[in-house]
Amino acid sequence: MMRAAMTSAPAQRTPPNTTSPWRAGVSASLPVALGVMPFGAVCGASAAAAGLDFNESFALSWIVFAGSAQVVAVHLMASGAPVWVTLLTGWLVNLRFMMYSAAVAPCFRDSTRAQRTLAAYLLVDQSFALTLAQMADKRPPPYCAAFYLGLSIAMWVQWQVASIAGILLGSFIPPSWSIEFVVALLFIGLIVPLLQHRLARVAALAGAAIALAPQLPFRLNLMAAALAGAALAMVLERTWMKPTSGR
Amino acid sequence: MDETYVWTVIIALAAVTLLTRMSFITFAAHLELPLLLRRALAYVAPAILAAIIATQVFPPTPAGNASLDLPRLGAALLAFAVAWRTRSNMATIVVGMLALWSLQALLG
Repeated sequence: MMRAAMTSAPAQRTPPNTTSPWRAGVSASLPVALGVMPFGAVCGASAAAAGLDFNESFALSWIVFAGSAQVVAVHLMASGAPVWVTLLTGWLVNLRFMMYSAAVAPCFRDSTRAQRTLAAYLLVDQSFALTLAQMADKRPPPYCAAFYLGLSIAMWVQWQVASIAGILLGSFIPPSWSIEFVVALLFIGLIVPLLQHRLARVAALAGAAIALAPQLPFRLNLMAAALAGAALAMVLERTWMKPTSGR
Repeated sequence: MDETYVWTVIIALAAVTLLTRMSFITFAAHLELPLLLRRALAYVAPAILAAIIATQVFPPTPAGNASLDLPRLGAALLAFAVAWRTRSNMATIVVGMLALWSLQALLG
């Protein structure tokens, strides 16, 4: 016991290249928390402000655990959209997880089914991006799986703490503060890095235009915007890109 | 809001989201996402984000049509410029909210 305590104490002071992948993952979550926690608070606040009670708002945060889709679902529920429209629109927002799931899957080849399912539940934009950076360093699968779980569990805790704070505050903030506008600002921050590509800009403009067009029945505008924006970009990719690459 | 409605949405959305996340990690670790689908997904994100931003910047009237709201439009444009220059979500939110409140006070 004494020996173990004595040998582990200096180990904590050694540089991060010798730390365990779990601890490296938890450390990697700390700078990201600056972005994740305000987003969690906004999502919690927007649910409470839309009239969901504490249990409903918190369930959205921990069962669904997907900020953008939570905001969209709250927005659609508040505007009285049918269940199937809210569900399909929220799912479209979350379809990117399929891309992330494919990208990080190699980390979990040696993991048990339970570990894989836990990893899948915790998958978000940041856990995908940061783990991908680790995979680029040619780390073996057990390392990146442990890094991913350390990172994701830490982010999950940060998200829930921030959500609870947001839910509790959200019901007290007066509507005149227009606090829901934070969602638009947050999404502006998220979309800007995506707009490097010309066709992504086309998809974004088409999506915005359709969202503002006269209302479709069943609040289908957001869903139509996503599908039509992506379809237009795909079509243009075929017609524009071929001559350019052929030249 | 109706309780059954809200809980149906929460549980069903959680289920489809979990299945989407599990797709490759749990069920098909040895498969790759088809290129066509990967390209389509890369465009879905900007399209839907822009659509959500648009509905916030041009808030719908009770009839459901988009309306011009100068403080929101001004704040959004300024926030966009900040996001483009700094790539900082925090700076974007702080500048955007301060701009919104200032413009709302100025323009009534």
